[in-house]
Amino acid sequence: MGVSGALARLALRHAHLLVIEVPGNWLTRVAVERLAGARGWRLAVSPADADILAVCGSPGPELSLVVASLWEQLPGPRARIDVAAPELVAAALDQAEAVLRDTPRQRRDSAARDGRGPDDASDDDIALAHGSEDRDGLEMDVLHVRLGPVLPDWPAGLVLRAHLHGDLVAKAHAGVVDAGHGPAGGAHVVGGGPSGEVGPADAAELAAQRCDNAARLLALAGWRDAAQRARVVRDRLLAGERSAATTELARLRRRVRRSRLLRWSLRRVGPLPPDELARLGLAPELTGDVWDRLNGMLSRAALTVGGPAGVAVGPVGVEAGAPAGVPVGVPATPPAAVASVVSGWDLATARLIVASLDIAALGVVTDG
Amino acid sequence: MLTHLVFWGLAVVAVLAGVAVFVVNSMARASYSLALSFIAVGLQVLLLQQLYVGVLVILMMVMEMAIMAVYMNMFMGMNPAMMSMNMVHGARHALPVSVGVFLLLAAGALFAPWPSRRGSPPEDVTVALGTELMGPKMLTMGVVGVVMAATIVSGVVLAAHRTRYDRFGDDLRRRRVADPQPGGVGR
Amino acid sequence: MAEVPAAVSGGWAPVAAGLLGTLAVAAALFDGALAERAAGARLGTGRPVGEVARLLRQRRRTTVAADRLLWRIGGAGLLGMALMIVTVVPLGRWTLFDLAVGVVWVNALDVLAWAFVWLTGWGANSAYTMVGGYRFLAHGLAYELPLMFALVAPAVAASSLRVGEVAAAQQGLWFVVWMPVAFVVYCLGVVAIAVWGPFSPALGRDLAGGVTAELSGVDRLLFLAGRYALLAAGAAFAVPMFLGGGAGPLLPAWAWVLVKATVLLAVLVWLRRRVPALRPDVFMEVGWLVLLPAVLLQDLLVAVIVIGG
Repeated sequence: MGVSGALARLALRHAHLLVIEVPGNWLTRVAVERLAGARGWRLAVSPADADILAVCGSPGPELSLVVASLWEQLPGPRARIDVAAPELVAAALDQAEAVLRDTPRQRRDSAARDGRGPDDASDDDIALAHGSEDRDGLEMDVLHVRLGPVLPDWPAGLVLRAHLHGDLVAKAHAGVVDAGHGPAGGAHVVGGGPSGEVGPADAAELAAQRCDNAARLLALAGWRDAAQRARVVRDRLLAGERSAATTELARLRRRVRRSRLLRWSLRRVGPLPPDELARLGLAPELTGDVWDRLNGMLSRAALTVGGPAGVAVGPVGVEAGAPAGVPVGVPATPPAAVASVVSGWDLATARLIVASLDIAALGVVTDG
Repeated sequence: MLTHLVFWGLAVVAVLAGVAVFVVNSMARASYSLALSFIAVGLQVLLLQQLYVGVLVILMMVMEMAIMAVYMNMFMGMNPAMMSMNMVHGARHALPVSVGVFLLLAAGALFAPWPSRRGSPPEDVTVALGTELMGPKMLTMGVVGVVMAATIVSGVVLAAHRTRYDRFGDDLRRRRVADPQPGGVGR
Repeated sequence: MAEVPAAVSGGWAPVAAGLLGTLAVAAALFDGALAERAAGARLGTGRPVGEVARLLRQRRRTTVAADRLLWRIGGAGLLGMALMIVTVVPLGRWTLFDLAVGVVWVNALDVLAWAFVWLTGWGANSAYTMVGGYRFLAHGLAYELPLMFALVAPAVAASSLRVGEVAAAQQGLWFVVWMPVAFVVYCLGVVAIAVWGPFSPALGRDLAGGVTAELSGVDRLLFLAGRYALLAAGAAFAVPMFLGGGAGPLLPAWAWVLVKATVLLAVLVWLRRRVPALRPDVFMEVGWLVLLPAVLLQDLLVAVIVIGG
């Protein structure tokens, strides 16, 4: 027991979590990220990298299937926690730690999985890919890849069924996981006051969500330090430390604006003129390229938290297609528009473009 | 003695890896079998004291096989799930012919009346080999190398689907090129 | 001309491997400390220890219809590459393998990264890892030629491909001073081979970890250790090539080699968190239209100075 116990203790200092956010439970997800970070734990990027599967909110039938298959892909030792609300996070993480520490239990789990694995799947019925012309007119194989609903720094619930030529997204169809089921019971939606007005606490929350989205974009752009800072601002805003958050945010905005390398890498990626935004049903403040949208996101956060209480952020709803159930103050993004703006870009830039859309909630549309 | 053993061991590895190219069942494995075969040959050349040539054989061949594997996989739509690819075509005729050619060449190498060594090897065997092979044609060969590189580049340019008219407009006056995705130097 | 290092017996190879391992562990500790500081968590340098324990405790896994042989070869290969590179790096008066074409040897080894990283991506039979593997090759197309020509500059200046002679040739003036372009391009190449920092899109978050997306347990440990070891080996090789080898006051030559390698390694590690990713789609043009001409001009300049002086 001595060696394996010591190994378990050391290993648990840096457990990796794969966090799955059920749409509408972003505050729970943020709490998991914050408390896990405080324990020295890290966020996993794939199931192979994870020890803990943390499901935030109660998943609908479609997402439940995804979660089950991801659970099978965790290498083990493994633990699964279901967190319904932000205040339950600490207890859930303790529980996960206890499960991971329980070496005999993990041994049993491991033994039960032996002999049945992905190897058993029959591999003689995998069809040859069919081909079509890519954007340069070369005949290329087409790969059908489902992006989402679980990917690092990906909008909760979004599924893009992409036709890939190599890593080029030839075209994509968008959907929302469990679209027919609406927000699950007890789900919290940003700015969702009963009166539809945006109060001070809601303003902080809206600003925090902008910072969260900016952190995702910065992380995808590969700038770890700036992404971390954006997350710190987000956590400060949610904790009510408004003045500290404002100072930090101002510093982050300056740093981002001055980074020539970031500007060079994001400029001219995913340009969206106003008329196209209107056609796609996207908010007009998303005009420009990914670089413009990143700065816009951060300045909207600053404006919300710095401005007087009650200032509405961004457009209130979208002219067409704003679904019921999404409250005032949160522009809903139609999934079809997401599918349309990533077509013709490679995966890396497509991910940047999706992150730059500052998605707060997804409209309920089945296909694009 | 040890050098001899290593040399012959490498020779066996080179031949077996070469055979494996036609036995394995995927393009990735075939490409890297060939790379392994070339690495064994490169090490043999190292044992012959041709250090520069030997290391260069390894360098060039690994890089070429890496690129070949990628092309083969792209064009043939291979992934590891399709492990049943046959690397031989028309085996009934090809097999006897290739075995015959191999035996012929090997017999030539084994039975040729190689001259015995006179004097001692020069200080710098790489220079000596280069002079022996190319002699006074060194400048010509150098130029030919550059011409070949230029030919490859022009071939790719001519074969490309998009031309400068697509990028810069019919009068070539467009300041910002119309590429499907922007490049890194802001043209 | 300082003395040219002499080859020592092969029995010292474990010592060389140990030194490389120490450098790699130091890099991992430093990187862990930087990560902790950025996260605002309690100051700890033990992150790599915990991560190693975690990966040792984790089960290995495989995927449907993976080409397991090639997958495992790719994952373990990076570490082997790093070990082979340091065999030609002289430590003061000693070197393990006094090869007359040491510079080309390192060049041949760095090309192996193409094979190993791509195989790790391809072998797993997963779309994300495969895209990651192709991304690495796209980077390779952009960094490899500039890197090769960057290695030409010190060799031309020293009129030798023997690493020890290149180090000895810069007793008066370090090569980094009068061939800065070649040095910067070389450092970019090292960072790229280690799939590190700005060159990590092949392992990108956007691909759920890219090449490493399906690796777990000891396989992931080997791959990650290989990256740190390659970074350390690249920093160590820069010392005889650009940073004057063992030259320096007071300390013995071997100590200077270690000090210089450690400092350069620390800079490369630190760079990781500070710089956004150089995606292949934007870096490709930079490699061919900026770095390659710049480093060719550097070579020309060096050649003219060597012939003229």
